[in-house]
Amino acid sequence: MNTEKEPVPLEVHDLTVAYQKKAVLWGIDLVVPKGKLIGIVGPNGAGKSTLIKTIMGIIPASSGWVKIFGEEKNLRRVGYVPQRESVDWDFPVSVMDVVLMGRYGKLGLFKRPGKADVDIARQCLDKVKMLPYANRQISNLSGGQQQRVFLARALAQESDLYFMDEPFSGVDASTEAAIITLLHDLKEKGKTLMVVHHDLPTARNYFDMLLLLNMRVVAFGPTDEVFNYELLQKTYGGRLTILAEVAEAVRQKS
Amino acid sequence: MVEPWSADAFQNNLWIFLMGFLVATACGLVGNYLILRRMSLIGDAISHSILPGIAIAFLVSGSRGTVPMFAGALLAGVATTVIIEVIHKKSRIKQDSAIGIAFTTLFAIGVILISLYASKIDLDQECVLYGEIGFVGLHPPVQLWGMNLGPLPVFRMAVVTVITAAAIMLFYKELLVSSFDPGLAFTLGINATVVHYCLMGWLSTVVVNAFESVGAVLVIAMLILPGAIASMLTLQLPRILMLTVVIAAMSSFFGIHLATWLNCSTAAAMVVVASGLFILAWLFSPTSGLVFKKLRHRSDSVPEFPETATDVLNPQPGK
Amino acid sequence: MSKRSYKFALSLLFLACMAQEPLFAARIGELTETDWKIQVIRFLSFRDPSVRYALAGSILLGISCGLLGSFIVVRKMALVGDALSHAVLPGVALGFLWNTTKDPVAIFIGATVAGLLGTTVVNLITQTTRLKEDTALGMVLAGFFSVGICLVTMIQHLPTGNKSGIDKFLFGQAAALGPNDIQLMGIVTLLAITVITLFYKEFLVSSFDSGFAHSIRIPVQLFHHLLMLLLAFAVVISLQAVGVVLVSAMLITPAAAAYLLTDRMHRMVFLASIFGLLSGVFGAFFSFLGPSLPTGPFMVLGASLVFTLCFFFAPKHGLVTRWWVKRSRSQQIQVENVLKAIYHVLEDRGFDGEGVSIRELADQRKQTLEESVRESKMLKRAEYATLLEEGNMIWLTPEGWQRAREMVRNHRLWELYLTSAAQYSADHVHDDAEKIEHILGDEVVRALEKRLDYATTDPHGKKIPSSESIQKDRMGRREKVPGYGQDI
Repeated sequence: MNTEKEPVPLEVHDLTVAYQKKAVLWGIDLVVPKGKLIGIVGPNGAGKSTLIKTIMGIIPASSGWVKIFGEEKNLRRVGYVPQRESVDWDFPVSVMDVVLMGRYGKLGLFKRPGKADVDIARQCLDKVKMLPYANRQISNLSGGQQQRVFLARALAQESDLYFMDEPFSGVDASTEAAIITLLHDLKEKGKTLMVVHHDLPTARNYFDMLLLLNMRVVAFGPTDEVFNYELLQKTYGGRLTILAEVAEAVRQKS
Repeated sequence: MVEPWSADAFQNNLWIFLMGFLVATACGLVGNYLILRRMSLIGDAISHSILPGIAIAFLVSGSRGTVPMFAGALLAGVATTVIIEVIHKKSRIKQDSAIGIAFTTLFAIGVILISLYASKIDLDQECVLYGEIGFVGLHPPVQLWGMNLGPLPVFRMAVVTVITAAAIMLFYKELLVSSFDPGLAFTLGINATVVHYCLMGWLSTVVVNAFESVGAVLVIAMLILPGAIASMLTLQLPRILMLTVVIAAMSSFFGIHLATWLNCSTAAAMVVVASGLFILAWLFSPTSGLVFKKLRHRSDSVPEFPETATDVLNPQPGK
Repeated sequence: MSKRSYKFALSLLFLACMAQEPLFAARIGELTETDWKIQVIRFLSFRDPSVRYALAGSILLGISCGLLGSFIVVRKMALVGDALSHAVLPGVALGFLWNTTKDPVAIFIGATVAGLLGTTVVNLITQTTRLKEDTALGMVLAGFFSVGICLVTMIQHLPTGNKSGIDKFLFGQAAALGPNDIQLMGIVTLLAITVITLFYKEFLVSSFDSGFAHSIRIPVQLFHHLLMLLLAFAVVISLQAVGVVLVSAMLITPAAAAYLLTDRMHRMVFLASIFGLLSGVFGAFFSFLGPSLPTGPFMVLGASLVFTLCFFFAPKHGLVTRWWVKRSRSQQIQVENVLKAIYHVLEDRGFDGEGVSIRELADQRKQTLEESVRESKMLKRAEYATLLEEGNMIWLTPEGWQRAREMVRNHRLWELYLTSAAQYSADHVHDDAEKIEHILGDEVVRALEKRLDYATTDPHGKKIPSSESIQKDRMGRREKVPGYGQDI
C-alpha cells in the first residue's frame, strides 16, 4: 500500500532574480498546496510575470531553488498560458495549429501530432467554444477569442500545475465568465492553478488564495485572511515600495 | 617601412586624410541621432538605396555634377522611405523585412544600371561598394577668389560637414527632445515628423557626398561606429559629439597608415581602424569597459539590495 | 508532407545529374560571344555544362534561402540575416588565401566561421554594453565587411594568381559555379530540408511562442543556434552566385512574398522555396545574356518582381485584392440602400402600383436625376430590377423585392432592439441601424425576432416585414416577372 504522500505541486525557496544588478525578485519562499486557484497580485513592475517565468526556467534565477512535484527542473506536468502580447498574432498559423502545440510536450522530438491528438485538440476547442474557428488564422480573432485559444492550448497539455499570465486582461465580460468557470472546473479536477491577475476587486472573488507580491512575498494565504487593507497597503502602498519605505525609516533612525 | 607622409605622397595623402576625416565626422555626427532613435537599419538602407538615384542622375544629366547627384540621391532617399512605409503599413509584412526588401531591390536596380550602361556611367561595381578615396586628390581643385581651396569633392564635403555641425548646434534642443520623447516635443511646439524628414533628407545628402569616397557599405560604418565608440566612453551627448570628431580624425589618420602597409582599400582600412578603436573602448573604457568591470566587481553575481532593510525586515524562515 | 518529399526528390535529382558531368566548365568571362540572342539559345538548350551548373546552383540556393528565410521573416530577424551575409566576407577572403586554386571547402569553412563569429560578437555587445541590437548588428555588419574588403583589395594587389574570382563574390556570378560548388550546395540544401522537416514542430513553436516552447521543455536556445548555423551555411553557398551584398535579399524577399500568400506556415515554407528557386533561375538566365553582368542583382530583381505581384494581387492580402473587395462591398451596400429607398416610396403610397419613377427615387434619396439613373442601372445589373419606359420606371424583380424587404426588416428590427432592449432614444437609432442592416445574418435576425416577441412595429410606427412572409415569398416565386406578390 502506498502511504507516501504526493509532494506539493510547487515549492520555492529563497528565489532571487536580478537584471543588470538590480533585484527584480528577492528571497521568494512559497509552498503551494494542491488543488487551489491562486491569484498573484501586485503593482506594475512587482515581478509577477518574472516569478512564474523564473519558476518555469524561462528566466534564470540568481539564487534559490524551485521544486515542482518534488523535483527540480521538472516541467512534465506544467501547463503555461503566456500573456497575449508576447506573441505575434500575424504568425501564419491557424487556431488548430496553436492548440495542437499543446500536445507537443507529449509527443517528443520526432513524432507528429496524430489523429488522437487532433481529437483532443478539438475537444479542448469545444470546451472554450472555439471549435467553429478551428481553421481560422489567428489574427482574425478578437482579444477574448485569442485568449480562449491560449486556454484551449493549455487544456490540451493535460497538465496538473498551470501558470497563467493575465488571462483576463482585455477580454470581454462573457469570455471572462467562461474563463473563470473553466478554471474552477480544473480546480475541481484537482489541478493547481497560479494566475497572475491585474484587477484587485475581482481577485477577491475569483481566487481561493492570494499571493501578494512586490519584489518580495508580502503575504500568501487564503483570500479572506490576506485581502485586508493593511496588507494591500503594504503591497501597493503609495509611490514607495515597502522596501524603500523601510530603508528610509532606517536611514532616518541613524 | 610605412611612410605615408613622405614627400611625394604627402600632398595626396593629406587630401585623403582630410576627406576621410570629413566623411567620418559628418556621418558620425548624423549617425549619433540614428543610434539614439534606434534607426541604424534605416541608415543602412538609405546608404544602399541612393545608388540607383545616382545612376539615373548620371544617365539623365550625362555628368557627375553636384546638382543632378544631389537630386538623384534625394529622390532615391524619398522613394526608399515611401516604399518602406507602403510595404509595412499596407500589408502584414513587418518593418524589418520591409526595409530589407526595399533597399536590396533599389540597390540591385542600381547595380544593373551601372553594369548595363557601363560606358555612360562613370562608376564601377567595386567603387560602389568601397569607394575610391585614393583618387580624391586628383580631382580638379576649386578656385575661389584666386585661391586653391582643394579638390572639389573635399571642398564639397567640407561644406556639408560644416553645415552639419552648425545645424546640430543650432537645433540641438529640437533634435534632442524629438529623439527621446516625441510626445514632449509636440507639447513644446516641435514637430517631430518634420525633424524626422529633415534628418532623413540631410542623411541622404551626407551619404551621397560620402558615397564617392567610401562607397555604400562603409558609409554605414562611418554612420554608426564613431557614435557607438563615443557612447562607450561618456554618457553626455555634447561630449559624445565632440568625441565623434576626434574618433573620426583618428580613424582617418591611422587608416591611411594601415592601407599603405597592407596595400588595400583606404576606406576599408579606415573602418578597420575604427572597429579596432571600438574593441579598445569595449575592453578598456573607464566607465563600462569589460576589463575594468571585471577588476572592480569580484562578486558580480550578487545584485544590489539595501542591506539595512534586510536586517530590519528579518525575513521569516520558509514561508 | 508530400510537398516536402517533393523537394527532397528535386534536390536528389539535380545532385544525380551533376555527379556525372566532366570537370571542365566554360567560364562566362572568357567568352567572346556578346550577342545576347545567341546566349539565350545557348542557355535554353542546356548543352553547355556551365549553364547546367549555373542552373543547378541557382535552384539549390533558391530553395535553401527560401526555406530558411521563412523563419527569418516570421521571427523578425531580417537585419540579422543582413549582418550575417555581410560578415562572412573576411572568411571568404581568407578561404581564397588558403589555396592557390579556388577551394570551395576552404571558402565554406572560412565564411561559416566568420559568419558565426559575427553573430556571437553581436550577442556579446548587446549583453555587455548599453548598445542596442540594431546598433550592434550595424557595427558588426560594417566592421566585418570592411575587414573583408581590406583582404579582398589586398588579394587583388598581390602579384600571385588566384585573385581572379574573388571579385565575383561581391555581386555574384552563377556561371562561375563548378561541380564541386554544386556538390556542396546540394549537401547543404539537403541538410536544411532534412533538419527543418525533422524538427518542424520545434522550430514552429519556438518561433511563434518561445515562452511556451520553454515551458514544454523545448531547448529554444539550441534551436535558435541550429537555425543560425543552417542560415550561415545557406548564406555561404549562395555567395558565389548572388554575391555578399545581396544574399540577404534572397533570404527575405521570396519568403516575404510567400508570407502574403498563405496563412499556414508549412505552405509558406514551401512557397518560399519555390519563389527562391524561380528567382534563382531568373537571375542566372539574365546574367548569362551579357559578358559581365553579375548574377546577384538579377536574382534579387526576380524575387522583387514576385514580391510585387504578391503584394498587389495576393488572393487574401494583396493590396489590389483588398481594394477590390472593399469596392464591391461598398457597391453592394449602395444597391441595398437603393432597394430600401424604393420600398419606402412604395410604402408611402400604400403599395399602390408597382413601378417607381426615377424622379420619385431621386426625391426619396435626395439626389439628382443623373445619380438615380446610375443607381437604377446598378439595380438592373444586379438583377434586382427591370427598367421600363426607356429607363424611367423601376420595377423590382422578385429577388429585388425580397432583398428590399429584408433590408427594411433588418433596419427596423435593429432600431426596435436598440430602443427597447438597449434603451437608446428613438432619435439616436437610425444611423446605427443604417450600418448594421447590411450585415445582419439570418441567425442573428431570427434571434432578434424571438427576443422582441415577433413585434410588428418599429419605434417610428412603421410596419416591420416579417421573416415568415419573406420566406413564403421566396419559396413561392419562380417566374421572373416584375411585381411583388400578394402578401406584404
